[in-house]
Amino acid sequence: MKLKLTTLLTLFMAFVMQFSFAQEKTVTGNVTSASDGLPLPGVNVIVKGTTRGVQTDFDGNYSIKASSNETLVFSFVSMKETERLVGANSTISVAMADDIAALDEVVVTGYATTTKTKSSIASVTISAETIENRPNASFVQTLSGQVPGLNITTASGQPGGNSTVNLRGITSINGNTEPLFIIDGAPVDEDNFRSLNPQDIASISVLKDAGATAIYGNRGANGVVVIKTKTGSYNQGLKINYNGSVAFSSLQDNDYNLLDSQQQLRLERDFGNGRGASGNNGGPLTDAQIGQAETFDWAEFFFREALTKNHNVSMTSGGENSSQYTSFGFSDIQGVLQQSTLKRFNIRSNVTGKTSDDKFNYGSNITINYSNSDEPNSIGSGAINRNYILGAYQSVPYITPDDYTNGAALLSPLSFANTPLFLLDRLRTYQRNEEEVKIVGSLNAGYRLTDWLTANVVLSADYQSEFVTRSEGPASFNALLFGGAQNPTSGFQQQLSNRIFTFNQVTSLNSHHEFGKHSVDAGLYTEYFKGHLKQFGFFQRGLNPKTFSPGDGSGFIGTSLNPANGAILFNDTPTANILTTGLFSYFGTADYDYDSKYGFTGTVRRDASSRFANSNKWATFWSVAARWNIGNEAFMEDSVFDVLKIRASYGSAGNDRISGGRFGSLDITEDFFVTGAGYGNVNAIFPGAIGNTTLKWETVTQANIGLDFELLNRKLRGSIDVYEKETSDLFQSRPISAINGQTNLFANVGDLFNRGVDVQLDYDLIRGTSDDDFNLSLTFVGNYNETELQNLPSEEGEIIGTGRNGGKLFEYFTIRYAGVNPANGELLFYNAAGDVTENPNADTDRVWLDQNIFPDFNGSFGLNADYKGFFLTTQFNYTIGVDRFDNDLASFQNPDNIGQFRHSVDILRAWQQPGDVTDIPALRASNRNSVGSTRYLRDADYLRLRFVSIGYNMPSKYLDNTGFSSMRFYANGENLLTFSEWRGFDAEALSNTSRLYPTPRTFSVGVELGF
Amino acid sequence: MKKFRNILCLSLLVVLMGCNDAIEIRQDGRLDAVAAFENVADLQSGLIGLYAGLDTTPSIAFSSNFTDELSIGFDSGGQGVALYGFVLNAGSGAATSFWTRNYAVIRNANILLNAIAGITPEVGEEAQYNEIRGEALAIRAFAHLELVSHFSTDMTNDSALGVITLDFVPSIDQQLLRNTNAETFALINSDLMTAASLITTQSEATFISRDFITAMRARVAAYRGDYATAAPLAQSLLNSYPIATRAQYQNMFFDADNTEIIFKLERTVGDGYDGQGATGSVFAGGWAGARFAFVDATLTGSPYFEMGRTMFNALDPADIRFDVNISPTSVIDPNYPNGANLPADDILVIQKYFGSEGKPLLNDLKVFRSSEMLFILAEARAAANDFAGAAALIKQLRDARFGSAQPLPTYANASEAFGGILDERFIELSFEGHRYIDLKRLGTLGNRGIARDPLDCAINGACTLAANDFRFTLPLPIVEFNANPGLRDQQNPGY
Repeated sequence: MKLKLTTLLTLFMAFVMQFSFAQEKTVTGNVTSASDGLPLPGVNVIVKGTTRGVQTDFDGNYSIKASSNETLVFSFVSMKETERLVGANSTISVAMADDIAALDEVVVTGYATTTKTKSSIASVTISAETIENRPNASFVQTLSGQVPGLNITTASGQPGGNSTVNLRGITSINGNTEPLFIIDGAPVDEDNFRSLNPQDIASISVLKDAGATAIYGNRGANGVVVIKTKTGSYNQGLKINYNGSVAFSSLQDNDYNLLDSQQQLRLERDFGNGRGASGNNGGPLTDAQIGQAETFDWAEFFFREALTKNHNVSMTSGGENSSQYTSFGFSDIQGVLQQSTLKRFNIRSNVTGKTSDDKFNYGSNITINYSNSDEPNSIGSGAINRNYILGAYQSVPYITPDDYTNGAALLSPLSFANTPLFLLDRLRTYQRNEEEVKIVGSLNAGYRLTDWLTANVVLSADYQSEFVTRSEGPASFNALLFGGAQNPTSGFQQQLSNRIFTFNQVTSLNSHHEFGKHSVDAGLYTEYFKGHLKQFGFFQRGLNPKTFSPGDGSGFIGTSLNPANGAILFNDTPTANILTTGLFSYFGTADYDYDSKYGFTGTVRRDASSRFANSNKWATFWSVAARWNIGNEAFMEDSVFDVLKIRASYGSAGNDRISGGRFGSLDITEDFFVTGAGYGNVNAIFPGAIGNTTLKWETVTQANIGLDFELLNRKLRGSIDVYEKETSDLFQSRPISAINGQTNLFANVGDLFNRGVDVQLDYDLIRGTSDDDFNLSLTFVGNYNETELQNLPSEEGEIIGTGRNGGKLFEYFTIRYAGVNPANGELLFYNAAGDVTENPNADTDRVWLDQNIFPDFNGSFGLNADYKGFFLTTQFNYTIGVDRFDNDLASFQNPDNIGQFRHSVDILRAWQQPGDVTDIPALRASNRNSVGSTRYLRDADYLRLRFVSIGYNMPSKYLDNTGFSSMRFYANGENLLTFSEWRGFDAEALSNTSRLYPTPRTFSVGVELGF
Repeated sequence: MKKFRNILCLSLLVVLMGCNDAIEIRQDGRLDAVAAFENVADLQSGLIGLYAGLDTTPSIAFSSNFTDELSIGFDSGGQGVALYGFVLNAGSGAATSFWTRNYAVIRNANILLNAIAGITPEVGEEAQYNEIRGEALAIRAFAHLELVSHFSTDMTNDSALGVITLDFVPSIDQQLLRNTNAETFALINSDLMTAASLITTQSEATFISRDFITAMRARVAAYRGDYATAAPLAQSLLNSYPIATRAQYQNMFFDADNTEIIFKLERTVGDGYDGQGATGSVFAGGWAGARFAFVDATLTGSPYFEMGRTMFNALDPADIRFDVNISPTSVIDPNYPNGANLPADDILVIQKYFGSEGKPLLNDLKVFRSSEMLFILAEARAAANDFAGAAALIKQLRDARFGSAQPLPTYANASEAFGGILDERFIELSFEGHRYIDLKRLGTLGNRGIARDPLDCAINGACTLAANDFRFTLPLPIVEFNANPGLRDQQNPGY
């Protein structure tokens, strides 16, 4: 292990280039590892109090100029820092001792860090190496498959699009189900990372059990993801690192087997609708005419080979009492869909400092980001004139872009089959742009009041200001269509600003006591959180085509009257919204350790949320955790285990975001009335929604037992955790009688359980003894999770759409499809009793299917190999137990679409005469639209080559005198291969919506240079 | 001392931030029940809000889609194909729409009535106060009537199940069962009688007036088969609202003439219905004309539904109703019924909701017209075996619509008379949301049912449906059973 670690760290350190200045004499020497005597390459040798420094070469040798009164500092990750006075020596060789405490990776536990040995919690930390250089716009996508229990799915291919992050299942039905994300102490919007630069991240820790998350009790119910960005270290020279990459993305494959023009036209002719039936002056096309039709693939038109460019420069340095990390990033990312792009510019400055007596220290982290993205909307909708994805998939192939002249020409005859031309027109006349400034800043400071008592404060803020601008030009098909001849200057422009500022402050007193083999840590904290949202926007109708330009107001037409009838032609609407939310907490923690063998941790907290100001404002959450480091016991000395630790925790955390968003359902405890346009557009008062006066926190109580182990000389490392999470007081929609004017009301009722196992294993299959040897290690990440509902608020213990007592969350409840009746081509279904029928009862023949959209198993496996600077990493993600409705397939097989849209070859198998045994009903089956059923419910399990990376680290011996301290070349692939029964474009999306924007397949190459 | 200073600074940080401003937050722009209704002017605003809940586009969408008024258009994207195939069950949007929408109106009416009871009008405001109360009661009755006419199997049967009647604001846990028709109509009638005693305005096209109450009482009585009550009410309205001339009739559908209008729901630019609504769905809302076309009422307006051939064949080009109902841009197949490509060669664009105020498809929703009163009177005569009297009324209407004397129909018996009245209703009240209820009430009496042209129903074989089919009563919706499982036992027969 040691060598492997050393090699890795060498690679890391090799990025660094130091600047030295000539001094009195040259000191040379050799640095070795005290434990095995092997040379240590990449050790930093710095003249204390200066920025002069060098690194040891691959044989552990160094050479540095220093004067006799100076001191050399030898530092190396995971080794104890060693100092030597130069004095009269011209040769100083050092054997560096392992820094036992630091050899273990540092574990982030809430507001503190501790070593893995002394940690009682379930958490996983991912280092920069597995995040850097991946061609994903959002680092969250990169996390996919890397942490057991963390299920990350992305349903949109928009660069930087939001991913759904679920840790250990789903803990809420309507509330927030995503973990709390903390960047350098600042809680941030978990749905928006598109503006942040993944290259700045130093580590990501995922905190999973109650022991870990209780400290974030009012927001930690779904786990916590703690992100640390890179910092400099004290007393290091300036290092400059450049990183550039280019990526090429393309659409993933599908398996729908769509018809070509000849097949499509023949189908239309046979069916009697569309061009095939009436394209010949009202009569059916002849075989010859059909034969001449061109087949045009609209998917290739609306999608594209997308190009992405990334550049990143970072500078790190440190003096005696301060250090800094500064980075600049620029990315220009294209989505595979036309008009889908993301450009961003990032600046980060991380500064740390301390007083020379070490009593006061501080760190500040600020990142300023600007992004500009073109983001088509109406994705997923059925709007044939707005959703490009619909145009890409469903457009008939015999219409080509050559058929387009302008928007006006499409008005007559207006035909559904012209869908691709409507959308082509939209591409040319419609713009939608999101411009965002995101600033995340935090300041943490600590003052040592006494030897054992420290006062700390962490202030942080997340500000995002987003401007959405969209416009539909006055000459566009849509504007002409809906404006009509009466409004020849139609079209609109909308702008919406959305500004969110959140502020968080944690103030604490922390103590640390050690006596003998005992150590006790304790802390008292208060936490204050406030969030402000302000929106403003306008919707301008009426644009003068002479002066209109997207985003600009020159062409705006004010309120004007139709001269014909005096009616108001253009009615502009402004919108505005202000929302405020807040949390306040106080809490205490205590931590006890005995001889690194036994430990206990406890937390108790009181939390208040503004959301429940008029009901149950305060709630108490708590946790306890304990560990036993069996491996540190004397009797384990000769065992195969290098590390063996058992952990257990139990505790609770709250969720006040009961309807999901930070600013959702802020005051639903009260009955309100609203004012607005009433009858005849006269201002009026309306009753609003019915308030719920008993609203309270959702509580997640979690039990966790875990085992951390390293054995066979640390060749096999891993951890296993078993957990049960119970969400009580679930905030969910409770059916109420329609006599109340609404058919459901949100209330805290019911329980939801998530039970499962997390497994992580790493195994060094081949471990070389020197750097040039071949190394191969295997990784496995797995999670099994099952959900169970209990105490649902209905008489029968079931709520359609949510599930039933004892069943899965969001279990499907519908009529079972049984196939096609060979006698008449009608659809067959099972009734509730299991008998086949053509006419099921839409209400009473629905059954629970024991299937839902969430995976039972998910995770990844892969390998890491390296040889003489070459490296290879692969990661296969797998998901088992996902069942989705393939609504895209439904439309490709829908006979009611013939003449309008494109079909799958499947439809050619449709039943035609008695005796036909087929899976496609007669095209005119009378019950084809009668009931919803499982007809399109499909297994969406998949195995995907999520990530592969191959590259070369130039050994430093080749870099001498080149001006570079490190050089690395790499090629990455994302989503290269997918094995799945799912026929659609993207097996990954956890959604039953059709016509979505799939995530792409991406190939990238890059270079990383250190100066 | 220095240590003390640091602790002080730290404490200040905690104290200055406070905590109450984070957890005692009142959102901006909230209006609670106390502040909502403080005087009669507020009640008037509440009434305008209550009116906004009234909408007949779901009736228009449902009635035309389910019956033989329309056919699937050449520019269909699959809209309404289930209803067009007579597919109707407890999961259908039609059931949910009629049930939930009307109960929302009833609840809002009851909330407003409670607020009205809590306000004492200032001197001089009493008349307005009473008027508001009367109109709120009338709206409550109107919603109950829309419910009972769709969900009761037989409105003429007192002991048949009606709907849940509500003259109070229910609590959220209440699970009520259906009242009988006798109970349901008792509430409707008492609301109307009280309203009549409170309202002083005699006639007002877009607001509830005394004439609205009279017209609704006539309709209620006719639905109940109580023609002795219905006839004088209908006659009195026919006296004050004459049948329109051809020009007036045409202008009425451009919203430019109110000769025949007893009540219509105003629809205007910028109101809550100024939009497409749910196209091809009974949830509807939006412009009335968008029930048939996406863009406008012309050939190029993307008509997803077209006029059914049954209706087209029944319309005489000399009849003003031909001009009102059919767009001149329509493509009429001269070879009908032998056209090879009916959808493309025969495009009958529905024009009844052409648009107004510069907006295509936006029109006021006609609720009570004097021609309906004429029909009620004709029904009354038919029911009293005065077939010649019924025929004379139909002739009166046809004379007005043609602008010339038309032959007097001859009805030999009640069946022929009701059949003739139904046929005339079919074209006179087309696309106004009447056909479904009319066939349900009178179809069996007049020996009529849904009868689509064979070419219109070639796509699904759903050509005819007898008026005594169970589907002429809507099923109670599943969404109600979820909260009120006891109602399952009261589901309508056939579902």
